[in-house]
Amino acid sequence: MLVEGHPSRMAFSNLPDGEALPQAGAIIVSLSRFTKEREALLARAEPVGVRLETGESPEALGADVQRLELIVLHVPYLKDGRAFSWARLLRTRLGYQGELRVSGHVLRDQIAFYARVGVDSFELPQAVPAAEVEAARSEISHVYQPSVDGQVTIRELRARRAPRS
Amino acid sequence: MYRYDEFDAQLVRERAEQFRGQVARRLSGDLTEDEFKPLRLMNGLYLQLHSYMLRIAIPYGTLSARQVRKLAHIARVYDRGYGHFTTRQNLQLHWAQLPKVPDMLVELAEVEMHCMQTSGNCVRNITADHFAGAAADEIEDPRILSEIVRQWSTLHPEFSFLPRKFKIAVSGSAADRAAILVHDIGIQIVRNTHGEIGYRVTVGGGLGRSPFIGHEVGSFVAKTDILAFLEAVMRVYNESGRRDNIHKARIKILVHQIGPEEMRRRVEREFAEIRKSGTLELPEAEIARIAAYFAPPRFEELADESVELEAATRKNAGFADWLKTNVHAHKMPGYAIATVSLKRIGDTPGDCSSDQMDALADLMEEFGQAEIRVTHEQNLVLPHLRKRDLFALWQKLVPLGLASSNHGLVTDIICCPGLDYCDLANARSINIAQNIAQRFADLERQHNLGELKIKISGCINACGHHHVGHIGILGVDRKGVENYQILLGGSGAEDASLGEILGPGFDSEGIVDAVENVVGTYERLRQSGERFLDTYRRVGPTPFKDRLYAR
Amino acid sequence: MMPHVLTANRLSVGEVVYWSGSKGWVSRLNEAEILPDDKAEAALKGAAEWVEKREVVAPYLFEVRILGGTAVPVKTREAIRAAGPSVRRDLGKQAD
Repeated sequence: MLVEGHPSRMAFSNLPDGEALPQAGAIIVSLSRFTKEREALLARAEPVGVRLETGESPEALGADVQRLELIVLHVPYLKDGRAFSWARLLRTRLGYQGELRVSGHVLRDQIAFYARVGVDSFELPQAVPAAEVEAARSEISHVYQPSVDGQVTIRELRARRAPRS
Repeated sequence: MYRYDEFDAQLVRERAEQFRGQVARRLSGDLTEDEFKPLRLMNGLYLQLHSYMLRIAIPYGTLSARQVRKLAHIARVYDRGYGHFTTRQNLQLHWAQLPKVPDMLVELAEVEMHCMQTSGNCVRNITADHFAGAAADEIEDPRILSEIVRQWSTLHPEFSFLPRKFKIAVSGSAADRAAILVHDIGIQIVRNTHGEIGYRVTVGGGLGRSPFIGHEVGSFVAKTDILAFLEAVMRVYNESGRRDNIHKARIKILVHQIGPEEMRRRVEREFAEIRKSGTLELPEAEIARIAAYFAPPRFEELADESVELEAATRKNAGFADWLKTNVHAHKMPGYAIATVSLKRIGDTPGDCSSDQMDALADLMEEFGQAEIRVTHEQNLVLPHLRKRDLFALWQKLVPLGLASSNHGLVTDIICCPGLDYCDLANARSINIAQNIAQRFADLERQHNLGELKIKISGCINACGHHHVGHIGILGVDRKGVENYQILLGGSGAEDASLGEILGPGFDSEGIVDAVENVVGTYERLRQSGERFLDTYRRVGPTPFKDRLYAR
Repeated sequence: MMPHVLTANRLSVGEVVYWSGSKGWVSRLNEAEILPDDKAEAALKGAAEWVEKREVVAPYLFEVRILGGTAVPVKTREAIRAAGPSVRRDLGKQAD
C-alpha cells in the first residue's frame, strides 16, 4: 500500500482490533476501538489515528478530532461517496486540522474531488505516480462551487475580471 | 438564453479531454469495465442493446439554431442520422462508438453543449417548463434558477458519488408543466404575501419501482438561500441514503423511511449551518447577472388579433385543426407558442431526423426564433411566434412531418425507447405506441376525446413516465412473453397523482383493444367538459375494470 | 436443458457479437457456436480472457431453440439484439 499526495509527518501503522496496544509507535485504530479505549489511546505519547468505515460519521469523534493527527476514511467501493461528505464535515464544523487520508477503492478521477473536500493523502492498492496524481488534480482548471480547499470559484473569477461589453 | 463565458467553455473542453483520457485508459486496460462504467455514465454514455448510447444534455430543454444544426451534424456523422428526445429534455443518440465519443464531445463543446451528468449517481439535467419566458401565468422564468442550479451542481466535489441518480425540476408558475412533484427535488417559483418571489421546495418525488409524490420541505426559501437549501438536502441524502440496495437508494425511499417531518428537520438543521457559514449565499447581483441572459426577446407591438391568421384559419381546415391543439397563448399580444409534434402517427415518438433538425434550424431563423424547447413529453416548442406567421410556419412543418395536430391528444404518446433499444427493458414500447396511435388516427375522434395523455414504459424504471399518464402502460416480461399493464388516473401536473393498476395485463394485440375499451368507457360516462382524467377521478376504476375484465 | 449461445458487445464499437468458436467473435447469430449444456459454462469462462484483452464486454449465455438447423433465440430481447430495432428495419444487423 502506498501513500501519495502529502506524505505523513510520520509513519502510522494499522492496529487490528484484536491486537494489543504496542509499547510505542503511531497507530491507527478503528472507531469502535477508539470509543472503547479512548483514555488509553489519548494518553499515549505517540499520535493516534482513527479509521472510519464509510458508514461511520465523524460526528462520533466530536471534539476528539482535535486530538488526532490522522483520520483515515476507508472507502470499500469507488461508488460509495459518503467519504466526500465526511471529509467536508471534518474540515468544517468539526474543525479537524490533522492529516485526512482516504484509503481503499479510489480512482485517480476522484482525487480532485477528494482534494477539494479537504483530503490530504491517499492509500491506494496500486501506486499512482505522483505526476499522474498532479495531472488528475489539474484536469479541470475551474470550479463552480466553493469548497473546503478554498479554490477560487468561477463566480469569483468573473467578479475579478474586467466587465465584459 | 445562457451564453458560455470563457470559464464555462474551458470547463466543458477540459471535461471532454478528461473523458478522452478515460476512454484511452479503458481501451488500454488501465481501467476495468467496473471502474470505467461510473466514469462513462457521468458523461452520459450507456452500453445499450445494439450499441453505445450517448445522452446529450439540453439544460432546461433550450436550444439555439446553431446548437440544433450541430446536433443534426453529429447525428449524421457519428450516428444514424437521427436522435431521440427524452422525458428529461435531453437528446439520445443510439449508435455511438466508444473511440469516437471524445470527438463528439469536442464538437458539442464548440456549440456550448456537453454530456456531463446525464447519467450516473449525480445531479442530472435540470429540467424546466418548456413555456418558460412565454407563458402568461409565469411568475418568473424558471430557467434563471435552473442555470444557477446547473452550475452549482456541475462537477460538485461532494455530490458526484451519490447513492443514486438525482433529478431536479423547476416550474415558474402555479401550473406545473415540468412535473416537479415527481422529481427528487421539485422547485416551484412562488410569491409570498409580501409579493416577494421565493421557492417552494419538495423532496422525494419519483417514479420507477416505487413511485412517490414529493413532500414539501421548504414552503418559501428565499432566493439568496436556495443553493444553501439544496446543498442541505443533498448532504442529508449523500450521508443517509441507502447504498445497500440499488432499488432502495433514491431519496424518495429515505423520505418514506424516516418520514417527511424528520426529513424536513434534518434538512433545516443542515441548512441553518450552511446559511450561517455564508459560503453559498446567492447574491442579488449574481441572480440579476444570470437573469439577463434570459431577458425576453424584443417583442414587436402587435394587435392581439391577426388578420392573416384569421383568414388562413377560415380557408384551411388542416391549419385550423393545428391551431386548436398545438398553438398556445403567449403573454404578449399578437404572439403565440407553438408545439412542434414529434408524434406523427406511425413514427417513433420523440425521434427527430438530422434533416428535420436542420429544417427546424432554418425555420427558427426564418421566423425569428432564437430558441426551440424540448418538452418532457417529447415534443418541441417554438416559444415566440408572431400570430401572423403561424400559417406560413405550419405550411413548412407539414412536409417535414412535424405538423401533427395532436398535442395533448390521445396520439401524443410519451414513450421510452423500450426493448427495441434499451438494455434495461422487458418489453417493447414503441410498437405499442404506434399501434395505439394508428387505432385512434381519426383526427376528429382525437379532438373529440380531448386531452388524454398516454405514457408508455418498457420496464419498471419508468422512463416513459407511465405512473403519471392519464392512461399509463407498463410493459413487463410475463413468462417470456411481452405483457402490458394498464394504469389509470395518473397526472404529472400540479394536480399530481399516481396511476392505479387496473388489473391483469394484456398481450401486444390485446393492449390496443384494451386501451380502446378504456377510452370507450370514458366516452360513455363523461359529463360535459370532462377530460378523461376528470371522468376517471369522478367514477373511479370500477367501470373501467368491468369493461375490461367482467365476463 | 436448452442449448445456448454466448454473446457479448464489442468494447470499442459496442456491436453485438456472438462466440463462434473457431472464428472468434462474429456479428451474425447464424455463425455462432451452438453450445450444448456441458460446453456452455466453459465457453462463458473462456470469455473472461477476451474481456481481459479488451475485445468484448459483458459476455453472457442465452437460450436458443434449433429450428431448421438454425439457432433461434428463445427471448425476444435476444431476437432484437440479433436483428436490430423491430421498429426501424433500416437499422442494425437486419439492414446490413
